[in-house]
Amino acid sequence: MSLFQSLNISASALTAQRLRMDVIASNIANADTTRARLVNGQWEPYRRKMVIIEPRSGSFSGYLQAALGRADGGDGGVRVREIVDDPAPFKLVYDPDHPDASADGYVRLPNVDPLKEMVDLIGATRSYEANVTVLNASKGMLMKALEIGK
Amino acid sequence: MALFSATIGWLEQGLRYAALRQQAIADNIANADTPGYKAKDVRFQTELERAFRLEAKRTNPKHFSFPNEQNGKIIVTTDTTVSYNHNGNSVDIDQEMSKLAENQIYYNALIERLNGKFTTLKTVIKGGK
Repeated sequence: MSLFQSLNISASALTAQRLRMDVIASNIANADTTRARLVNGQWEPYRRKMVIIEPRSGSFSGYLQAALGRADGGDGGVRVREIVDDPAPFKLVYDPDHPDASADGYVRLPNVDPLKEMVDLIGATRSYEANVTVLNASKGMLMKALEIGK
Repeated sequence: MALFSATIGWLEQGLRYAALRQQAIADNIANADTPGYKAKDVRFQTELERAFRLEAKRTNPKHFSFPNEQNGKIIVTTDTTVSYNHNGNSVDIDQEMSKLAENQIYYNALIERLNGKFTTLKTVIKGGK
Protein backbone atom coordinates (compact mmCIF):
# COMPACT_ATOMS: atom_id res chain seq x y z
CA MET A 1 0.00 0.00 0.00
CA SER A 2 1.90 3.01 -1.29
CA LEU A 3 -0.48 5.53 0.22
CA PHE A 4 0.08 4.31 3.77
CA GLN A 5 3.79 4.50 3.10
CA SER A 6 3.27 8.13 2.01
CA LEU A 7 1.76 8.84 5.42
CA ASN A 8 4.79 7.24 7.11
CA ILE A 9 7.18 9.32 5.02
CA SER A 10 5.44 12.58 5.87
CA ALA A 11 5.26 11.60 9.55
CA SER A 12 9.02 10.97 9.64
CA ALA A 13 9.58 14.44 8.19
CA LEU A 14 7.29 16.00 10.82
CA THR A 15 9.33 14.29 13.55
CA ALA A 16 12.61 15.51 12.07
CA GLN A 17 11.42 19.10 11.65
CA ARG A 18 10.04 19.17 15.18
CA LEU A 19 13.40 18.01 16.51
CA ARG A 20 15.07 20.76 14.51
CA MET A 21 12.74 23.26 16.15
CA ASP A 22 13.51 21.83 19.59
CA VAL A 23 17.24 22.21 18.98
CA ILE A 24 16.80 25.79 17.72
CA ALA A 25 14.73 26.57 20.83
CA SER A 26 17.51 25.14 22.98
CA ASN A 27 20.10 27.28 21.17
CA ILE A 28 18.11 30.49 21.61
CA ALA A 29 17.29 29.68 25.23
CA ASN A 30 21.00 29.19 25.95
CA ALA A 31 22.23 32.20 23.98
CA ASP A 32 23.73 33.67 27.18
CA THR A 33 24.64 30.51 29.10
CA THR A 34 28.25 30.73 30.27
CA ARG A 35 28.25 27.62 32.44
CA ALA A 36 27.17 24.70 30.26
CA ARG A 37 29.96 22.20 30.83
CA LEU A 38 32.73 21.80 33.38
CA VAL A 39 36.03 21.12 31.57
CA ASN A 40 39.13 20.63 33.75
CA GLY A 41 37.53 22.51 36.61
CA GLN A 42 36.64 25.46 34.39
CA TRP A 43 33.21 26.37 33.09
CA GLU A 44 32.75 26.34 29.35
CA PRO A 45 29.93 28.24 27.61
CA TYR A 46 27.10 26.53 25.76
CA ARG A 47 27.98 25.35 22.28
CA ARG A 48 25.48 25.80 19.48
CA LYS A 49 23.88 22.49 18.48
CA MET A 50 23.23 21.49 14.86
CA VAL A 51 20.97 18.74 13.52
CA ILE A 52 22.20 16.45 10.76
CA ILE A 53 19.42 14.89 8.72
CA GLU A 54 19.65 12.17 6.10
CA PRO A 55 17.29 10.07 3.97
CA ARG A 56 15.94 7.04 5.80
CA SER A 57 17.16 3.68 4.54
CA GLY A 58 18.25 0.22 5.55
CA SER A 59 15.11 -1.85 6.06
CA PHE A 60 14.28 -5.07 4.27
CA SER A 61 11.16 -3.68 2.61
CA GLY A 62 13.18 -0.76 1.28
CA TYR A 63 15.67 -3.05 -0.43
CA LEU A 64 12.88 -5.31 -1.70
CA GLN A 65 11.08 -2.37 -3.29
CA ALA A 66 14.38 -1.27 -4.83
CA ALA A 67 14.98 -4.75 -6.24
CA LEU A 68 11.51 -4.72 -7.76
CA GLY A 69 12.29 -1.39 -9.39
CA ARG A 70 9.55 0.44 -7.52
CA ALA A 71 11.89 2.64 -5.56
CA ASP A 72 15.55 3.52 -5.75
CA GLY A 73 16.64 2.13 -2.41
CA GLY A 74 15.72 3.31 1.04
CA ASP A 75 12.30 3.30 2.64
CA GLY A 76 11.63 6.90 1.91
CA GLY A 77 11.34 9.53 4.54
CA VAL A 78 13.92 11.32 6.55
CA ARG A 79 15.62 10.79 9.88
CA VAL A 80 17.90 12.67 12.19
CA ARG A 81 21.35 11.12 12.08
CA GLU A 82 22.85 13.03 14.99
CA ILE A 83 23.06 16.31 16.81
CA VAL A 84 26.53 17.83 16.67
CA ASP A 85 28.22 20.81 18.31
CA ASP A 86 29.11 23.83 16.23
CA PRO A 87 32.94 24.11 16.40
CA ALA A 88 32.86 27.87 15.76
CA PRO A 89 34.79 29.94 18.35
CA PHE A 90 33.00 31.52 21.32
CA LYS A 91 32.13 35.20 21.33
CA LEU A 92 34.39 37.34 23.51
CA VAL A 93 32.72 40.23 25.28
CA TYR A 94 34.44 42.72 27.59
CA ASP A 95 32.55 42.65 30.90
CA PRO A 96 34.90 42.69 33.91
CA ASP A 97 32.01 42.55 36.41
CA HIS A 98 30.76 39.22 35.12
CA PRO A 99 31.47 36.34 37.54
CA ASP A 100 32.92 34.24 34.70
CA ALA A 101 35.16 36.98 33.33
CA SER A 102 38.79 36.02 32.82
CA ALA A 103 41.72 37.92 34.36
CA ASP A 104 41.77 40.44 31.51
CA GLY A 105 38.04 41.14 31.86
CA TYR A 106 36.69 39.20 28.88
CA VAL A 107 33.74 36.81 29.10
CA ARG A 108 33.33 33.90 26.71
CA LEU A 109 29.73 33.74 25.48
CA PRO A 110 28.07 30.92 23.46
CA ASN A 111 28.64 30.83 19.70
CA VAL A 112 24.90 31.25 19.15
CA ASP A 113 23.77 33.87 16.65
CA PRO A 114 20.07 34.58 17.34
CA LEU A 115 19.63 35.89 13.82
CA LYS A 116 20.83 32.63 12.30
CA GLU A 117 18.61 30.67 14.68
CA MET A 118 15.54 32.67 13.69
CA VAL A 119 16.20 32.05 9.99
CA ASP A 120 16.59 28.32 10.68
CA LEU A 121 13.40 28.40 12.73
CA ILE A 122 11.45 29.89 9.84
CA GLY A 123 12.88 27.22 7.54
CA ALA A 124 11.88 24.43 9.92
CA THR A 125 8.38 25.89 10.35
CA ARG A 126 7.83 26.15 6.60
CA SER A 127 9.06 22.59 6.03
CA TYR A 128 6.76 21.38 8.79
CA GLU A 129 3.80 23.12 7.16
CA ALA A 130 4.66 21.71 3.73
CA ASN A 131 4.76 18.19 5.18
CA VAL A 132 1.41 18.69 6.92
CA THR A 133 0.00 19.67 3.52
CA VAL A 134 1.37 16.46 1.99
CA LEU A 135 -0.02 14.41 4.87
CA ASN A 136 -3.48 15.91 4.37
CA ALA A 137 -3.26 15.28 0.61
CA SER A 138 -2.40 11.60 1.16
CA LYS A 139 -5.16 11.30 3.73
CA GLY A 140 -7.66 12.81 1.30
CA MET A 141 -6.63 10.32 -1.37
CA LEU A 142 -7.02 7.39 1.04
CA MET A 143 -10.48 8.58 2.04
CA LYS A 144 -11.36 8.93 -1.64
CA ALA A 145 -10.14 5.38 -2.29
CA LEU A 146 -12.66 4.15 0.29
CA GLU A 147 -15.41 5.50 -1.93
CA ILE A 148 -14.61 3.04 -4.73
CA GLY A 149 -17.69 1.01 -5.56
CA LYS A 150 -20.07 3.04 -3.41
CA MET B 1 -11.55 -9.47 -16.00
CA ALA B 2 -12.90 -10.38 -19.42
CA LEU B 3 -16.41 -9.92 -18.09
CA PHE B 4 -15.80 -6.30 -17.15
CA SER B 5 -13.58 -5.20 -20.10
CA ALA B 6 -10.01 -4.03 -19.65
CA THR B 7 -10.89 -0.50 -18.54
CA ILE B 8 -11.00 -1.40 -14.85
CA GLY B 9 -7.52 -2.92 -15.12
CA TRP B 10 -6.17 0.23 -16.75
CA LEU B 11 -7.76 2.44 -14.15
CA GLU B 12 -6.24 0.26 -11.45
CA GLN B 13 -2.85 0.61 -13.10
CA GLY B 14 -3.32 4.37 -13.08
CA LEU B 15 -4.22 4.31 -9.40
CA ARG B 16 -1.08 2.31 -8.58
CA TYR B 17 0.96 4.85 -10.51
CA ALA B 18 -0.66 7.77 -8.69
CA ALA B 19 -0.17 6.15 -5.27
CA LEU B 20 3.51 5.50 -5.98
CA ARG B 21 3.93 9.02 -7.31
CA GLN B 22 2.37 10.35 -4.12
CA GLN B 23 4.99 8.39 -2.19
CA ALA B 24 7.81 9.89 -4.28
CA ILE B 25 6.46 13.43 -3.83
CA ALA B 26 6.07 12.90 -0.08
CA ASP B 27 9.66 11.66 0.04
CA ASN B 28 10.94 14.66 -1.92
CA ILE B 29 9.16 17.16 0.32
CA ALA B 30 10.27 15.29 3.45
CA ASN B 31 13.87 15.54 2.26
CA ALA B 32 13.64 19.16 1.07
CA ASP B 33 16.29 20.13 3.65
CA THR B 34 18.49 17.03 3.43
CA PRO B 35 21.95 17.76 2.03
CA GLY B 36 22.82 15.79 -1.10
CA TYR B 37 19.31 14.40 -1.62
CA LYS B 38 18.21 14.04 -5.25
CA ALA B 39 14.56 14.38 -6.23
CA LYS B 40 12.68 11.32 -7.44
CA ASP B 41 9.87 10.98 -9.90
CA VAL B 42 7.72 8.12 -11.09
CA ARG B 43 6.84 7.37 -14.69
CA PHE B 44 5.39 4.67 -16.83
CA GLN B 45 8.02 2.61 -18.54
CA THR B 46 8.48 3.62 -22.16
CA GLU B 47 7.44 1.47 -25.10
CA LEU B 48 11.11 1.05 -26.02
CA GLU B 49 12.00 -0.44 -22.64
CA ARG B 50 9.02 -2.74 -22.87
CA ALA B 51 10.18 -3.97 -26.27
CA PHE B 52 13.46 -5.16 -24.71
CA ARG B 53 11.69 -6.93 -21.89
CA LEU B 54 12.45 -10.57 -21.21
CA GLU B 55 9.57 -12.86 -22.07
CA ALA B 56 9.18 -16.34 -20.63
CA LYS B 57 9.13 -19.24 -23.12
CA ARG B 58 5.85 -20.99 -22.57
CA THR B 59 5.35 -24.42 -24.07
CA ASN B 60 2.01 -24.87 -22.39
CA PRO B 61 -0.68 -22.23 -22.01
CA LYS B 62 -0.99 -23.21 -18.34
CA HIS B 63 2.56 -22.01 -17.67
CA PHE B 64 2.87 -18.72 -15.85
CA SER B 65 4.39 -15.85 -17.75
CA PHE B 66 6.83 -13.48 -16.09
CA PRO B 67 4.72 -11.05 -14.13
CA ASN B 68 6.12 -8.04 -15.99
CA GLU B 69 2.78 -6.99 -17.37
CA GLN B 70 1.52 -5.97 -13.95
CA ASN B 71 4.69 -4.95 -12.15
CA GLY B 72 7.18 -3.74 -14.70
CA LYS B 73 5.46 -0.73 -16.13
CA ILE B 74 5.88 1.84 -13.41
CA ILE B 75 9.41 2.85 -12.50
CA VAL B 76 11.00 5.33 -10.14
CA THR B 77 13.61 7.65 -11.59
CA THR B 78 16.08 9.91 -9.84
CA ASP B 79 17.20 13.16 -11.40
CA THR B 80 20.86 13.62 -10.50
CA THR B 81 21.66 16.29 -13.05
CA VAL B 82 20.33 19.41 -11.36
CA SER B 83 20.86 20.91 -7.96
CA TYR B 84 18.78 23.85 -6.78
CA ASN B 85 20.58 24.23 -3.52
CA HIS B 86 24.18 24.83 -2.53
CA ASN B 87 24.21 21.61 -0.49
CA GLY B 88 23.53 19.37 -3.50
CA ASN B 89 19.79 19.01 -2.88
CA SER B 90 17.73 18.91 -6.06
CA VAL B 91 14.22 19.33 -4.62
CA ASP B 92 12.29 22.26 -6.12
CA ILE B 93 9.64 22.74 -3.46
CA ASP B 94 7.30 24.80 -5.69
CA GLN B 95 7.39 22.14 -8.37
CA GLU B 96 6.79 19.40 -5.79
CA MET B 97 3.78 21.20 -4.31
CA SER B 98 2.20 21.66 -7.74
CA LYS B 99 2.92 18.01 -8.59
CA LEU B 100 1.20 17.10 -5.31
CA ALA B 101 -1.95 19.02 -6.26
CA GLU B 102 -1.92 17.57 -9.77
CA ASN B 103 -1.46 14.02 -8.51
CA GLN B 104 -4.31 14.40 -6.04
CA ILE B 105 -6.71 15.56 -8.74
CA TYR B 106 -5.52 12.81 -11.09
CA TYR B 107 -6.10 10.18 -8.40
CA ASN B 108 -9.56 11.51 -7.60
CA ALA B 109 -10.44 11.62 -11.30
CA LEU B 110 -9.44 7.97 -11.69
CA ILE B 111 -11.63 7.00 -8.75
CA GLU B 112 -14.57 8.98 -10.14
CA ARG B 113 -14.12 7.16 -13.46
CA LEU B 114 -13.89 3.80 -11.70
CA ASN B 115 -17.08 4.53 -9.81
CA GLY B 116 -18.72 5.58 -13.07
CA LYS B 117 -17.67 2.27 -14.58
CA PHE B 118 -19.20 0.32 -11.70
CA THR B 119 -22.39 2.35 -11.91
CA THR B 120 -22.64 1.51 -15.60
CA LEU B 121 -22.16 -2.17 -14.83
CA LYS B 122 -24.79 -2.01 -12.14
CA THR B 123 -27.22 -0.50 -14.65
CA VAL B 124 -26.49 -3.34 -17.04
CA ILE B 125 -26.93 -5.98 -14.32
CA LYS B 126 -30.25 -4.51 -13.28
CA GLY B 127 -31.38 -4.41 -16.91
CA GLY B 128 -31.71 -0.65 -16.99
CA LYS B 129 -34.06 -0.53 -14.03
